[in-house]
Amino acid sequence: MRKEAWFGLSIMAAVVIGLFVLMPPPSQITNGHLGLLMLALIVVAIMLGFPTAFTLMGLGTMFTWFAYNSVDPSLAVQQTLDLMVQRAYWVMTNDVLISVPLFVFMGYLVERANLIQALFKGLHLATTRIPGSLAVATIVTCAIFATASGIIGAVVTLMGLLAFPAMLKAGYNVRVAAGSVTAGGTLGILIPPSVLLILYGATAGVSVMQLYAGAFFPGLMLAGLYVAYVIVYAKIKPSIAPPLSAEDQYVPLPKFAEVISKTSNNVMKGLIGAIKGKRNADVPMRTLINHLVIALLPALAAALFMGSIYLSVTAPDHVVPSELQEMGFAAEDEEGNAETGDLEDAEEAGGLQAPPAEDGQKAPAAAGAAAESAKGPADGKPDATKEDAVAPGESKPIPTWWWITLGIFAVGLAVLYAIFTFVRLEIFKMLLASFFPLALLIIGVLGSILMGLATPSEAAAMGSFGGFVLAIAYGRFNMTMLKEAVFLCAKTSAMVCWLFVGSGIFAAAFALLGGQEIINAWVQSLDMSPVQFMLLAQVIIFLLGWPLEWTEIIIIFLPIFLPLLAQFNIDPLFFGLLVALNLQTAFLSPPVAMAAFYLKGVSPPHVTLNQIFLGMLPFMAIQVLAIFLLYMFPGIGLWLPSLVYGR
Amino acid sequence: MQKILLTIDRISTFVGKTFSWLIVSLTFLIAYEVFSRYALDAPHAYAFDAMLMMYGTLFMMSGAYTLSKNGHVRGDVLYGFFPPRLQAGIDLTLYILFFLPGVTALCWAGYTYAAESWAIWEHSSITTEGPPIYPFKTVIPVAGAFILVQGIVEIIRCVLCLKHGQWPSRQQDVEEVDVEKLKAQMQVKDEDIAKLDEFVAAEKGGDQ
Repeated sequence: MRKEAWFGLSIMAAVVIGLFVLMPPPSQITNGHLGLLMLALIVVAIMLGFPTAFTLMGLGTMFTWFAYNSVDPSLAVQQTLDLMVQRAYWVMTNDVLISVPLFVFMGYLVERANLIQALFKGLHLATTRIPGSLAVATIVTCAIFATASGIIGAVVTLMGLLAFPAMLKAGYNVRVAAGSVTAGGTLGILIPPSVLLILYGATAGVSVMQLYAGAFFPGLMLAGLYVAYVIVYAKIKPSIAPPLSAEDQYVPLPKFAEVISKTSNNVMKGLIGAIKGKRNADVPMRTLINHLVIALLPALAAALFMGSIYLSVTAPDHVVPSELQEMGFAAEDEEGNAETGDLEDAEEAGGLQAPPAEDGQKAPAAAGAAAESAKGPADGKPDATKEDAVAPGESKPIPTWWWITLGIFAVGLAVLYAIFTFVRLEIFKMLLASFFPLALLIIGVLGSILMGLATPSEAAAMGSFGGFVLAIAYGRFNMTMLKEAVFLCAKTSAMVCWLFVGSGIFAAAFALLGGQEIINAWVQSLDMSPVQFMLLAQVIIFLLGWPLEWTEIIIIFLPIFLPLLAQFNIDPLFFGLLVALNLQTAFLSPPVAMAAFYLKGVSPPHVTLNQIFLGMLPFMAIQVLAIFLLYMFPGIGLWLPSLVYGR
Repeated sequence: MQKILLTIDRISTFVGKTFSWLIVSLTFLIAYEVFSRYALDAPHAYAFDAMLMMYGTLFMMSGAYTLSKNGHVRGDVLYGFFPPRLQAGIDLTLYILFFLPGVTALCWAGYTYAAESWAIWEHSSITTEGPPIYPFKTVIPVAGAFILVQGIVEIIRCVLCLKHGQWPSRQQDVEEVDVEKLKAQMQVKDEDIAKLDEFVAAEKGGDQ
């Protein structure tokens, strides 16, 4: 038998012996002590490697019977059985846990739609100018893909096959390459929609919507910190991440683009020139128009976005039918002005030809609006002041920030179109085919949850539906793929939910025996400040993350901390965010980090586990920094929930 | 012996796989319900009950299937290092100590629970005129029975392993991370990975 096994067994033996030494003499044992005994036994039993769900179920049943038996032996069996089946039924009808299979299913569908290759290629071509571009692209790809799929093992393996070789070939340091793959791949645990947060929500009774809203910015922050670290490191020490060779940066242009780019390298100038002048008779008009439309998509998206914000902020509080006509007119006027401004700005800066007709379509009924307003005063301010005095029921005045955002968009678009070359158009097309569908899916799922349009389960179902659509759209949909996704989803959901069935009876036993009270009393006797308690809790959870799976920690051990939160005036939502960040480090902490083993499984033989672990360490430090930042500035996590749900 | 074990495996797998298709109908039911509510302005009262029933049945009935594929989460920090005989010994003890009492209790409790529900033709009380709920409650003892039978198969496996010193084989099934499949998907061959070694080796040389 291996040394490690003996080491582990001796630790377990020490726990058991220590337990019996610490236990009061048999005459003084109360039910509460039995509860603690049960807790210690569960740790030992889990370490022994028996399926956790059944360990919980068996121990829970026995100790529940003990608890009832000490009160009334004649009813004990019946009460135990009743409690057990009620807990099981509670899991079966839990409207939070119902999201688990749905999100898992969405993940498997998205993973099997095989977008990752195109996504990585597009992103790494788009970021070539940034130092450490491949590593940056890896992290961003992981962040997006892991968010949509949430399956750590598969994402790390895929990136290990895709990005890791690319980085090694480009001469990247093995540690940096390994670190960015593993760190990026585990982001899916935190960034919503993540299953971890659903489980926390179900255990702690915190709204999953608020948890998602809360975890959004910390997740982005973590990804941002990773990227920043890679960029800075590559800038300081270019030898670890050399810039790509010209050959690797080369983007093959389609034939027509090569022809046009001889006349003008700017997409807008080139395309429009080609359409107008008919100089390139050999290029079909359709191709030109198609590409022009693709090139104009950013402008259209910006216009749509601003237009919808405009409509929502200026929407009247309640509509009085008779004033409808007038109101619509005012709105059109404003809209028209906005466009003219947009157009002028852009034209000045870089020769943008934004089509007024297309932009105009988003206004309520704006066929003639643009033309009409073009005649009118070009400055929007008089209109805005005029509208300040409007009666309730009419459009609200446009807030200044709207104009500022519009200006930023206009400048951004102008810059974009000024540097929009045909090479960039190709990259943009690549991203369009990989990045945007995924981004839309994520935004759709998250957006509908955060805006309160859908419950998490509904959003998850829509996400699964979107997964179907993605798979079909990319021609990856077939019966085998669907079967695999369905069966994997069933196994994963059964694993998670049976764990809940087991923990239901276990937690009930713990409460019945009064183990919680002993722990509460003990914590109170320590006389800790909230900060100390928080640190203690996080350290314990971090340590538990080594031997245990995160599911077990959340379902079994977290409930012990939860009743204490109220004593220390800690928001369970905030605590949940810290726990989620914390458990993420467990995926990167040697020697049990799963991510490292997945990567090792697909890396060349000379890449050692030690190198991978060393590569993960800086990223782990960043995670700790992120926990610290979130703790110091709770606003990072709590701002969005307070904005959306008014907490 | 192995034949009987694999047959029961197959039954559990068949049942689990059959019920796992509920995820597809669940997805479409909710998607349709959302569409119906927002676009057609016609929400259905039964939708919520139906959703929960599908979800509950899905994961309960997949329990035995997951067990037959060794898919329930275990703490494998130490377990992986143990020799097969020790693994089997621990498993055997704990199956008898924890699994049998726990799951038997669940089956028995589920049986009485469902019987009471059948006796009064219980309907869901989440909405008025809720759908009948007794078939759903019957899922508990049925799923419990399947998982109990599968557990006995696992116990026999432990005994066989104790005898022969190695685990009896299981049926293959779809894996979450199937490295070979992912390699094929990415069109990466083992040679390509091996070839990368020169970059790693070269870098090591450069470092020193």
